[in-house]
Amino acid sequence: MTLTQGLPVSTAARPAVELIGVKKHFTGRSRRAPKRVALDGFDLTVRPGEFLCLLGPSGCGKSTLLNMLAGFTQPDRGQVLTDGEPVTGPGPDRGVLFQTPMLFPWLTTLDNVLYGPRARHELTAETRRRAVELLETVGLADAHDAFPHELSGGMRHRAAFARVLVNRPRLLLMDEPFGALDAITRVAMQRFLLHLWQREQITIVFVTHDVEEAALLGDRVCVMSGSPGRARAVIEVDLPRPRSIEDTETLEFVQLKRRIREALEDDH
Amino acid sequence: MTTDVVVVVEPATSSGQTSTASRRAAGRSRGGSWRRLAFGLLGLILTAAVWQLVSYVKGDPVILPSVQRTASTFWEYLSQPYPAVQGKTLWQHALVSGGRILAGWAAGVVIGVAVGGVMASVSFVRHLLDPLIEITRPLPPLAFIPLFIVWFGIGETPKFLLILIGVVPVMIIATVSALDAVPTELVQAGRSLGASPLWALLTVRLRSALPPIITGMRLAMGGAWTSIVAVELIAATSGLGYVINNAGVNLQTPLVLSGILAISVLGIVFDGLLRLLHRFADPTTR
Repeated sequence: MTLTQGLPVSTAARPAVELIGVKKHFTGRSRRAPKRVALDGFDLTVRPGEFLCLLGPSGCGKSTLLNMLAGFTQPDRGQVLTDGEPVTGPGPDRGVLFQTPMLFPWLTTLDNVLYGPRARHELTAETRRRAVELLETVGLADAHDAFPHELSGGMRHRAAFARVLVNRPRLLLMDEPFGALDAITRVAMQRFLLHLWQREQITIVFVTHDVEEAALLGDRVCVMSGSPGRARAVIEVDLPRPRSIEDTETLEFVQLKRRIREALEDDH
Repeated sequence: MTTDVVVVVEPATSSGQTSTASRRAAGRSRGGSWRRLAFGLLGLILTAAVWQLVSYVKGDPVILPSVQRTASTFWEYLSQPYPAVQGKTLWQHALVSGGRILAGWAAGVVIGVAVGGVMASVSFVRHLLDPLIEITRPLPPLAFIPLFIVWFGIGETPKFLLILIGVVPVMIIATVSALDAVPTELVQAGRSLGASPLWALLTVRLRSALPPIITGMRLAMGGAWTSIVAVELIAATSGLGYVINNAGVNLQTPLVLSGILAISVLGIVFDGLLRLLHRFADPTTR
């Protein structure tokens, strides 16, 4: 909450993410294979501080979209803007969390968190202090010197969070980050993410194919159609915050899930 | 606020997990290594016993000298030159062989990693060199000995080159496959944390490929020993290969065995150093 107050007023007015008429196709592996259209004229706006879920079947281009926001790939046509600026490449202002934590296995947890500041040659005592603090926040205070292979699955994900948050990103891009976790750890991580988001007031674009996860986490759920990917419907989630896993048993939640599922299955 | 989140993620459970996990891992590796050491020693002792038994049954030191005779010969020639006139001690022969190995191997590693690195990043270079490597890889370096003697004589140059051509393809293949195996997301993670392309290449892509490259270095080192001994058998007046060959011609079987022993000791030492390096580079094997 302190973070939002520190932000200049002008950024709050601009949308955090703008996608305007984004087109992207991939050429097939062989010359004869037809090129696959991943996204065809995709439009989306994300408000600052919003938690937006991208929901869709696999192959609908949601990961492609996230990769473009991260700056790993460029659109063939259309515009990708974050904070009003076109995305030209990867940068620490947009934190990316992958399907697997992608920690560097040769670095200790603390050194993983300090990788970003070191790479940018901005490592100060203050950053180091912040890294230690963040590790405490994510519940890894005792694991500074542990290597990633010594951590459990959930701990690795939390270390990856700390590694991204140390750079003070304005936007978090998450690509099915909890897909590979067991059900119990996933619930714990969802709870952890909601707390973190409420604390830092950060904009999050969250890719998932789990209807319940999207409904539980998001302010809005953008339902995408299969290939080529288009935004089929954007559903407002008007459940009260803070939410918890118990909310998934309420009638409103079940009705919401049905609405999302209907939007997903529309004209298939 | 901070404490809120900590409570939510249950730090007590998680930290409990680490300590038990690491304790279990440590216990397993320590117990396992003692067991392994004991069985390894047992294997060595059994081999020596069979050797001793056979030499006792045969009763001919030219066919197979006893263990203690071999050991005493080994000890003797550590300080005594061989051949007696203008010769070198076993130490010096070992130094000569080791020096040749290190020179050819180190040059081969540098060339192999450099070429492999370019092949992994630039696809046309890869297409250009791939068939060449595939053609030369199955050739034993020893097949080139006559050719190299004709081209370069019997000095140090052909020996150096023979080791080199044995090491380079192994290192190229190891480097290319190591770099190919680095997940794209790992490099992307580095880039999105603020690393420049060059920084990510050095600190993520190459760093991540380092352990398998070191494994390639170990394999190449083994190959280098096979070729150096063969080279020294044919065209040399020093080195362990020369000692083995010359002693064999003179039916000094204990000395032949001493030379073989010296090679295996040197091989173990070099490999041990590389394993240490690997351990250092890859924390998951610690």
